[in-house]
Amino acid sequence: MNTIDPRIHQALDGDLPLEGVPAELRPVVRRIAAAADLLAAVGPAVSLESRVMAEIRRPAPSRSRRLTRWLASPHAITFRIRPAWSLALATAAAVLMLFVARGGGPELSEHEGLAQFVGRFPDAQSVHVVGSFNDWRPRSLPLEDQNHDGVWRTTVVLPAGIYEYMFVVDGERWVTDHLAERLVADEFGRENSVVIVRPVRR
Amino acid sequence: MDVRGAPPDAEVVARVLGGDAEAFGIVIRRYEAGLQRFATRMLGSRDAAADAVAEGFVRAYRHLASCREPTRIRTWLYRIVTNRCKSHLARRSVADVPLDDAPPVADPSDSAAALERAEQLALVNRALTALSPDKREAFVLKHVEGLSYEEMAAVTGERIPTLKMRVHRAREALLKALEAYA
Repeated sequence: MNTIDPRIHQALDGDLPLEGVPAELRPVVRRIAAAADLLAAVGPAVSLESRVMAEIRRPAPSRSRRLTRWLASPHAITFRIRPAWSLALATAAAVLMLFVARGGGPELSEHEGLAQFVGRFPDAQSVHVVGSFNDWRPRSLPLEDQNHDGVWRTTVVLPAGIYEYMFVVDGERWVTDHLAERLVADEFGRENSVVIVRPVRR
Repeated sequence: MDVRGAPPDAEVVARVLGGDAEAFGIVIRRYEAGLQRFATRMLGSRDAAADAVAEGFVRAYRHLASCREPTRIRTWLYRIVTNRCKSHLARRSVADVPLDDAPPVADPSDSAAALERAEQLALVNRALTALSPDKREAFVLKHVEGLSYEEMAAVTGERIPTLKMRVHRAREALLKALEAYA
């Protein structure tokens, strides 16, 4: 790209007097010079003297403090590696991710699965889940309202199978989970919820 | 700089290196306006420019003993602030566009000439921001700060032909932007 006559550059560089530039090119010289003048006209800036001198008067930070600050502040770090190495690194990272991901949750055997229980009880003080998996013992499996939004939940590892359950709210109110996969009638004329736990590993 | 009645740069540097830290204030007062103007044009933001220049002065004070030519401390300061600006630009994400980049808001009390000037400045600023940092640096050092190509070479560490080419390309880009507006 060279859209400007070289004599214009010479004039702007001070190598050629404006009179040495053909008359038809002089407006271009003036135009660029005017643009530069506009940029040069920055309004008065706040003096930095007190800010800089205050910093200078402070005792210099120790070597260890400077190292800590350097380690804590963001820096652009650029790696230049051959494509073959990048492939090897990507593979290693993928293997590491798999390893970490596998170690992140509960270790399940091939006959176990996860059951998640969720219920919305805005005014409850406590919520438990009871069912055929814990012999209907009222206080053995509590749910938690971690976000304090009235939504109580828990996740448990259970042997794969089909289980009936209910929620017990505030230790006395038995409530059917109507969002369950299925509902079944029990021998007392109530409805139990049903959860089907599928094995994670097949 | 040798201002009548004011101590020359070399003398000020010698005083600071001799233990008179307060004398560094003379260096700040002498060069901060130009450095802030340069950094403002490089970074497109007065606040970021003030940070870069303040960091540059502190760095200059701490490494003053390494200033080999105290008579040319101005060039040395520009070099330090140039590096601070590049560091700021490298840290800045694409989405982090400074507010100062926005075109100036027209004040109804402004005259037509002032408005046109503000529009022209916004246009030139946009064209300047669109340049690569190297070309922007070269143009601002040459045309806004009025440095010679020799001084620019000392500031940037680049060869003079390289700097001339950058300035030429920057002028062409600016002219193109101005002609598109006309």
